[in-house]
Amino acid sequence: MAVSQRFLFSLLIMVSFVFTALTYVLVSDTVIKIVLALLAIFTDILAFSTKLYMSFFIPFLTMKGRNAIIDDTEPFTLAPSGNAIVVRRGSDIFASAFLKIPTYRSATEMNDEEKIDFSRLFSRALTITKSPVKFGAQLYVINKDAYINNIKDKLNEAEERYQNASVSKTISKADSERIRGEVTMWHNLFDSVNRVRSQALEAFAMITAQGGSEEEAINLALQQADELASGVSSVFGITATTAEGPDLLKFIEPDYMIPTATVSEQMRQRSMGSGA
Amino acid sequence: MDEQTMIYLGLTMLILVLLIVNASAFGVFGFAIAILGLLGAIVILVLNYADFILFPVITGIFGIKITPAKGYYIPKSSSSVIKYVNGLYYATGYLTANVYSYVFAAESIDQTEEQKLGEAPDKWERIVMNAGFPFRFNILSVAEDVQRYREELEGARGTLEFKLSKEESSSQPSQLTIDDLNKKMGILDARINRLSAGERPVDAVMYIETTAVGVSEKEAQDSLSNQLAHLQTLFNSFDLSINRVVGREVYNLFTFNYSLPDSDLLGQTFSTQK
Repeated sequence: MAVSQRFLFSLLIMVSFVFTALTYVLVSDTVIKIVLALLAIFTDILAFSTKLYMSFFIPFLTMKGRNAIIDDTEPFTLAPSGNAIVVRRGSDIFASAFLKIPTYRSATEMNDEEKIDFSRLFSRALTITKSPVKFGAQLYVINKDAYINNIKDKLNEAEERYQNASVSKTISKADSERIRGEVTMWHNLFDSVNRVRSQALEAFAMITAQGGSEEEAINLALQQADELASGVSSVFGITATTAEGPDLLKFIEPDYMIPTATVSEQMRQRSMGSGA
Repeated sequence: MDEQTMIYLGLTMLILVLLIVNASAFGVFGFAIAILGLLGAIVILVLNYADFILFPVITGIFGIKITPAKGYYIPKSSSSVIKYVNGLYYATGYLTANVYSYVFAAESIDQTEEQKLGEAPDKWERIVMNAGFPFRFNILSVAEDVQRYREELEGARGTLEFKLSKEESSSQPSQLTIDDLNKKMGILDARINRLSAGERPVDAVMYIETTAVGVSEKEAQDSLSNQLAHLQTLFNSFDLSINRVVGREVYNLFTFNYSLPDSDLLGQTFSTQK
């Protein structure tokens, strides 16, 4: 059973007060009074530390060796629908949903007044909902596995079109040259994709709801996310959508923010480069 | 300082004062008890105002590693959260990044503020271009109760008005004090006007998060330290208050990735940042 922080503070402060009161009441034994005073100071400090260290109390008291385990379960589970995560803390169930907020404009194409307006819009977006919301902007490493496959597909498609064009008599020379140019472009992109660091910037918002059951928490979180999406969309004039699956995990898991395969490939190339 | 902290500090300090007052009852050990009482008070004050110093010291001395969830651990330096996946160590660290001088805390948008707001998008894009590694800028915002906030402001304005009239009717009114009071009242008026215009008061906690990868824990942590130092340099152009987060707050920020706290917990956890 989870002990509330206020309850633990009240308990410890009362114990400390009793020890202190005993030092006033007892008149004879000085040694006992000193022990009581020391216990009073110790429990007093312990009582105050419950304010900030409640999460660490039990793990520190029960730790084996030098490892304090606050939680040994998965930090979250993905909702069956894949568009929210569920977190259990004791008997409390929380669900969090994430919104992707696309940005189509760069500061380089704004005039001074538009830049000021954009900053003010950003300020207004923070006040859309009364519930706690986390707004974020994330620079992440693009998952090159998917990216490379996508380029490969495009390259194959362009090569096939070029082959068809070269045997076809109906396609003009100009069109054939254009398709050849496209093939060269995809080839160059494919060759350079492993050499350059590919990163992308994405803005997002996260909202959390508590429920009596997993389903209730998920539904509440998604409902709040929809409301937030409407607000954000109207403020910025964009379409905010709920993140799902790997898109969602990218905002919370470091190995999705920096994909393992991509990083391993980069490290391999780096070590080959330094070894050469 | 919030009400809860005041109550906690008041009660714990009261007990220590009672012990110090009664020090004479301990005979020759009275002086030692008084000193211990004072030390206790210092520890409590350090816990309240600078627990980010105490926590890493304790975990460092005793070599305590914290496991916040399966697959993650906070090393004894209490400065990062580490995940080990597929033979790679992912070290995540945090920086505070309070945008005090921008719209959120500004009471009046004067010429300088306009300029700052206009430059902000450019600065942000320059940071993104120059970062060269993954990072995340987070703003955790909670809207305050408008009515309660308005009442607080009006109460504060009433107090200032009373002080101003008292100063003006005194035999030797000080122009400096009057100017100061007028300035403070102007700030409160600006806040009240912003509420009347439909703006909601917001509490916000801002922080930057970055992750570094390495084939060993040390490599990941060293790389993380470099990235955090680089981000500190980049974000300096924003005139931010930037510090590396260590200790207890690393765990709190880690949990915010999965579920957000309610406004009460947020206030308790980051009362100094609000």
